Amino acid sequence: MDGLVAVGVPLALAIRLTSVVATLMLARHARVCRWAALGASILASAMTAGVAAYVIASGTAIDGMLFRHAASESVLGYSVTPLSAWFLMVLGLIAVPVALYSTDYFAHAVARPRTAAVGAAFTAMVGGLEVVFVADGVIAFLCGWEVMTLATAALVATEHESRASRRAAYLFLVMSHVGTGCLVAGFMTLASAAGSLSFPAILSGHVVSGPMRHGLFALFFIGFGVKAGLIPFHVWLPEAHPAAPSSVSAFMSAVLITAGIYGLFRVCAFGLGTPDVNWALVFMSVGTLSAILGVLYALTQTDIKRLLAYSTIENSGIISLGLGAAMMALAHGRSTLATVAVAASLMHVLNHAIFKGLLFLGAGSVVMATGTRHIEQFGGLMRRMPWTGLCFLVGALAISGLPLLNGFPSEWLTFQALLLGFSSTPGMIRLNFPLAAALLALTSALAAACFVRAFGISFLAFPRSQAASEAHESPALMLVPLGFLAALCMGLGLFPGVVLRALEGVTASLPGLQPSAAMVRGGLGMSSNLTSFDHVVPAMFGLALLGGLIVSTALTARRGLAVRQAPTWGCGGELTPRSEYTATAFSKPLLMIFGAVYRPTRQVDAVAEVSPYFVDEVRYRTEIEPTFERYLYGPVLRGVIQMARGMKVLQAGSLHAYLAYVLVLAVILLMWLGGTT
Amino acid sequence: MTPMQDALLAAGAALLQAGGLLAAAPLLKTVIKKMKARLQNRQGPPLLQGYYDLAKLLRKEPVRSEVASWIYVAGPRMYFAAALAATTLVPVAFAAAPLEAAGGILLLVGTLALGRFALATAALDTGSPFGGMGASRDMTIAALAEPALMLGLFASALAAGSMNLGVLVRTLVQEGVTLHPADILAFAGLFMIVIAETGRIPVDNPATHLELTMIHEAMVLEYAGPDLALVEWASAVKELLYLTLLVDLFMPVGIATSAAPAAVLVAIVAWVGKVFVLAIAVTVVESTNAKLRLFRVPELVSISLGLGFLALAIRFL
Repeated sequence: MDGLVAVGVPLALAIRLTSVVATLMLARHARVCRWAALGASILASAMTAGVAAYVIASGTAIDGMLFRHAASESVLGYSVTPLSAWFLMVLGLIAVPVALYSTDYFAHAVARPRTAAVGAAFTAMVGGLEVVFVADGVIAFLCGWEVMTLATAALVATEHESRASRRAAYLFLVMSHVGTGCLVAGFMTLASAAGSLSFPAILSGHVVSGPMRHGLFALFFIGFGVKAGLIPFHVWLPEAHPAAPSSVSAFMSAVLITAGIYGLFRVCAFGLGTPDVNWALVFMSVGTLSAILGVLYALTQTDIKRLLAYSTIENSGIISLGLGAAMMALAHGRSTLATVAVAASLMHVLNHAIFKGLLFLGAGSVVMATGTRHIEQFGGLMRRMPWTGLCFLVGALAISGLPLLNGFPSEWLTFQALLLGFSSTPGMIRLNFPLAAALLALTSALAAACFVRAFGISFLAFPRSQAASEAHESPALMLVPLGFLAALCMGLGLFPGVVLRALEGVTASLPGLQPSAAMVRGGLGMSSNLTSFDHVVPAMFGLALLGGLIVSTALTARRGLAVRQAPTWGCGGELTPRSEYTATAFSKPLLMIFGAVYRPTRQVDAVAEVSPYFVDEVRYRTEIEPTFERYLYGPVLRGVIQMARGMKVLQAGSLHAYLAYVLVLAVILLMWLGGTT
Repeated sequence: MTPMQDALLAAGAALLQAGGLLAAAPLLKTVIKKMKARLQNRQGPPLLQGYYDLAKLLRKEPVRSEVASWIYVAGPRMYFAAALAATTLVPVAFAAAPLEAAGGILLLVGTLALGRFALATAALDTGSPFGGMGASRDMTIAALAEPALMLGLFASALAAGSMNLGVLVRTLVQEGVTLHPADILAFAGLFMIVIAETGRIPVDNPATHLELTMIHEAMVLEYAGPDLALVEWASAVKELLYLTLLVDLFMPVGIATSAAPAAVLVAIVAWVGKVFVLAIAVTVVESTNAKLRLFRVPELVSISLGLGFLALAIRFL
């Protein structure tokens, strides 16, 4: 066992590497290469998840070597610390069902000639992400980061005939590389100050001080914030996530964004020394903003995958809000509060991965069955796809933060941290906590509205299109992963104590935190009922709910009570799919109430041929303003293009000019060298 | 006591409390109706009318839509179950709730949200535009009310230093009632939210069936017979729960801290009296206000939000 754990990570990466090569070589046999890519991916993910579980359970890190170049004596090492293990476990937990789902899904949804490329890119993406989580130094980290980014870009561009996909992939690449640029700059500054490239040395927290620290924080915050999809660095996410094949979208939304979160934890919160109060404020405000705007945008989407992508931004915001609260606590030296907040944040990383993976896979099945992503074209799918519908419902309940599913405990803990924060920070700064809590409450209530809409319009009442009325349930291999994730949602909702306990070792390993053992046993003045998230009580409340269900069923399904089926009353007319309430109408009141955020534009055209009094057709078009794209990125983009135009003068294509540049440069360099020696 | 005995005791108390609130809830609805009628110089229904209605509905033949799936049937059941489970989280006669340790105020809010989610989803299942309209409006108002509710609860929870309702009430009883200005502001804010959450005028009109104005009623328009009985009953329980919550947070006087029969008797009488006073307040508000336009509700809610924030600021700055 110990031996296997020691070689688990390199072995998993070797399997992935072999699988990528094999997949590309077997490109002609779509079936074989699907299994070569995805089977190997399942095996490797299971291995890394095993290693991660071992580290979490034992609380001690596992170190080792990935690659060694003897001649130059350069070594790439890895280290599975409890924090990396947590993210690695989340990755494994999602990657296995996603890969299993993909074995059937790719066969139906990806063109045969592309199977090999998609399979190989998927494996490379997961492998790159694993390297990111376990990397022990800057070089390995950045290599993994880049492999992951490029593989993801390739997956986003799977359907590269469509202009939208190409644009999404391009946008993703540009944004990612702006982020990577910030990371490289930050890491190089740290490395040159510390004289080392290894993480333990550069992230010890004593490397830099003074204003330099703030500059580094900003660089890393942008660099990792782009990957985490935090507003205002989110613009690529709602384009890129929906463009990829659905199972890949599931992985991207559930796990890939956690690469950014991991970086924020590792570097911004715990790698640059005791956090500054202003950093915590940045985290809290960006987190709250992402949460509230993410869910508001999600509410108005009619493309199911875009809707889910925006909700990813929301959850990324909730995670950052928790981390921000933790940083605020660390800045004031409140280790108990910091522990609760970090636990809340890490718990939400896990929970979000589970329910978002579930929802995206469910959406993928629906999209495959109907051939469209437009919610208004679904409807009535509960009858055609009962199992997919049931799993999607579980995911919808979980993401709305409702009790007895896994979304609730982490939101509960976040609220608890915010309440604690109010009473344990001094001065006016504490008012940020109730403000954030009120906005978090608004977010979760809006999320409930959003998912009542997403589920209800898609799965209930009449089919709204021909395709929806002919949809078929997905094959068993696609249902099993859905069922697994749905079961996890329920299990972790009923027994959140398990997760809290697993987090003990993780929080204990972070500097400045108290091990959460005290937390689990209820050492908190404010919330003495943290013990309640032990295993008994939520389960007991579950029994109370079950009792209520039994009573209500007994009241309405008594024997001798004959049920009559009748058509829905249609006010004297006949009800058709066209008279159903639409998704657009459902979110209209909120669109009007939050008009200041959406700034909707609306265009109604009445088409009349004979006379304006006899209208044949009314065309309605509504659009919300893309605020960030228009007002933030628009000017930046124009500036960049203008600068490029200006630089064109330098690159005029004249050989003489180029020779002159070389000469000038050489002279300057000589003068500079002469000056220094 | 052993943990086993503890659990049994909690289960027994939960059953008792759920049964008691379930039995009392229809009376509250009728009492408010009756008082409203009196204010309008009408006779009003007999006091037991709520029970007669429920008995009649429960005996009727259920008529269900052909279009709908099992979600339509499950919706009211879940709504009812959520309301019933929520009764175990609120202290009524004792300064302790049977399952108080399960998650406190947040769990209470979450459980009621679960019921709402179930009912709103089920409303979309019949294909009738009324259901969709009701669900959309109900979720909208709930979303707006949530932050104000949370802030109001925060303001009162912070005074006692716990989100656990049992601990909260015990602390308040120990410290005695202080008419701190913050309490009054928080109470006013929460009262407005309770009005909004229970579908009363000026936010929603429980007596209307006019297409353009109904919210909750539109959502449950398609239900009949026992299904409708569940919805009506659960709504009544929910209203009673909200009023009890207000009583607990702001006037816990008289609540029993021991199991002595005399104390319990006093506590029950006190609880009935306090809820009755709140019911009068609800009636007066209903009778003296006109229903607001849907798009004016945000203003009402933002006043409540402001009051909650002010309460926090006054108490802690």
